[in-house]
Amino acid sequence: MSGIEVRNLTKRYGPVTAVDDLSFTVRPGAITAFLGPNGAGKTTTMRMMIDHVAPTSGSVTIGGRRYRDILRPTTVVGAVFDAASFHPFHSARDHLGIYAAMGGYPSGRVDELLELLGLAEAAGRRTGGFSTGMRQRLNLATALLGDPRVLLLDEPSNGLDPEGMAWLRSFLRDLADAGRTILISSHVLSEVQQVADDVVVIREGRLLAAGSLRDLSSTSQAVLVRTPDATELGQILAPAAYLVEANGPQELRVRGLDPSRIADLAAARGLRIHGLTAEHPSLEQLFLDLTGERTRP
Amino acid sequence: MKPLIHAEFRRLLATRMWLATLFVAALLGGGLIGLLAIVGPENFQPPMPGLHTEAGVRAVLGFLGFTAFIPAAIGTLAVTSEYRYRTVNFTFLFAPNRWRVLAAKLITYGLAGMVYGLVLSGTSALALFGAAAARGVNLGLPAGTIVELLARLAVAMVAYTVLGVGIGALIRHQVAALCVVIGYLYGGELLLLTIPGVRSLYPWLPGGATAALTDFTAVADALAQQLSSDPVRLVSPLAGALILFGYTVLASTVALLKPMRRDVV
Ligand SMILES: Nc1ncnc2c1ncn2[C@@H]1O[C@H](COP(=O)(O)OP(=O)(O)OP(=O)(O)O)[C@@H](O)[C@H]1O
Ligand SMILES: [Mg+2]
Repeated sequence: MSGIEVRNLTKRYGPVTAVDDLSFTVRPGAITAFLGPNGAGKTTTMRMMIDHVAPTSGSVTIGGRRYRDILRPTTVVGAVFDAASFHPFHSARDHLGIYAAMGGYPSGRVDELLELLGLAEAAGRRTGGFSTGMRQRLNLATALLGDPRVLLLDEPSNGLDPEGMAWLRSFLRDLADAGRTILISSHVLSEVQQVADDVVVIREGRLLAAGSLRDLSSTSQAVLVRTPDATELGQILAPAAYLVEANGPQELRVRGLDPSRIADLAAARGLRIHGLTAEHPSLEQLFLDLTGERTRP
Repeated sequence: MKPLIHAEFRRLLATRMWLATLFVAALLGGGLIGLLAIVGPENFQPPMPGLHTEAGVRAVLGFLGFTAFIPAAIGTLAVTSEYRYRTVNFTFLFAPNRWRVLAAKLITYGLAGMVYGLVLSGTSALALFGAAAARGVNLGLPAGTIVELLARLAVAMVAYTVLGVGIGALIRHQVAALCVVIGYLYGGELLLLTIPGVRSLYPWLPGGATAALTDFTAVADALAQQLSSDPVRLVSPLAGALILFGYTVLASTVALLKPMRRDVV
């Protein structure tokens, strides 16, 4: 099995704690979205997975081993970095050829990947003149040279157009369905929402939520309550609910209480309710709720 | 190790820089030495003994020692360009035991430095013998000795290439590393000669060791004369070779160990 296990991982840069006692697992056969706002510590965490960054404490293992202890590591892990990593004077074929040689893969693999990623026509051109989409494809091609069982992608959607994004989604879906472990970081939620099975959400280096996307979505379902007695009702509901917030002068958004319970609590105090609507949040909303500061009225 | 060396050679040959560098070597060897030999050291400013003397031949060939910054810069680029263009991301992904990457670079660029040195020495020999024949001068040193001196220069070029790799691994920032390498080898070391106290260190510095290895004392002597001070005494050629070797060992050690602990971000 080639899951990823992150255990009590911490990384400090001087006074800045980029990753703070982080633990989670990533399972094979699924696409896991690694979410967090800018500066949350996603890149740092992913770089610790492949030994690019040394943890201050804690550990990461892939299939039970530290990255540097894996024999022929690129047959196990592929990584797509958050920036283009090519010599601008090298052609795509040169670049892949160099890393195929380094990994000990046959040169036929280079042509296969150029074909697979739609780079065959641009193969002889210098990467310095590549568009963002082509760079992302070449990044992905390099990561796939060893046909790895685990794929780490740091913000792969940056600069991809909708068509490129749709292609990437179905590509990753196929890989996950074939039993591979896919971890994809993003702060643009609408993109991973359609493809992720699981999510790991972090902020300021700490874990906020982890689990299947479906479970997380249902726990964060909210109820919109229309009432002329908003202030009083808010005070009554607040101790029992997970979150109560004003949504306009005559409306409350309530989490952690179902509609019948809200109606009962209101009736017991003789407060009026004019409407109760279940709100299905988008992942975007869930993400904002999780990462934003929690407020109680 | 073999795949890593293979990959380094592919990286080296992927752009035309290797061709340009060998062209420069031929230009310096054939062009510079040819020019100096045709003009003749007796017409230099200040004048030096002619090509028919031993000192004259040594003076002409000794100028090649000042071109060592070129192979050193090539060695430096081998490491710094990986950081500059972030290919180090993939390189250390494919080879998480980073010292092996640097070992492959040291071997690859050691060999590349040797090719550079051979082209430089070979074209120099052709130019020197050619110019002497054209001017009808009998060279002040036997041909065998000249070939040996040129072979020593080629060895020095290998050492400087390896030295460059070490400095690249130490400094990483491309422009900064190149400034240090070129600035030091091209001018900085000679400036040291003008400082009275530091002057005595010169024989132990890479430039002094190279001068000893190639029996080239003209610069040290000329500077001593200008400053009307005692000439700097160089070590023996063998000691010079050993000192230079010591520097390459130091540079290699730095290259192997330095990237181990640093984060790649
Ligand atoms: N090399 C470094 N030196 C100092 N601080 C760093 C370094 N790398 C990251 N940090 C800090 O660590 C924190 C986490 O950064 P990181 O790049 O991991 O976040 P991220 O989640 O990837 O953000 P983004 O979405 O912007 O890519 C930030 O506060 C950042 O400033
Ligand atoms: Mg990032």
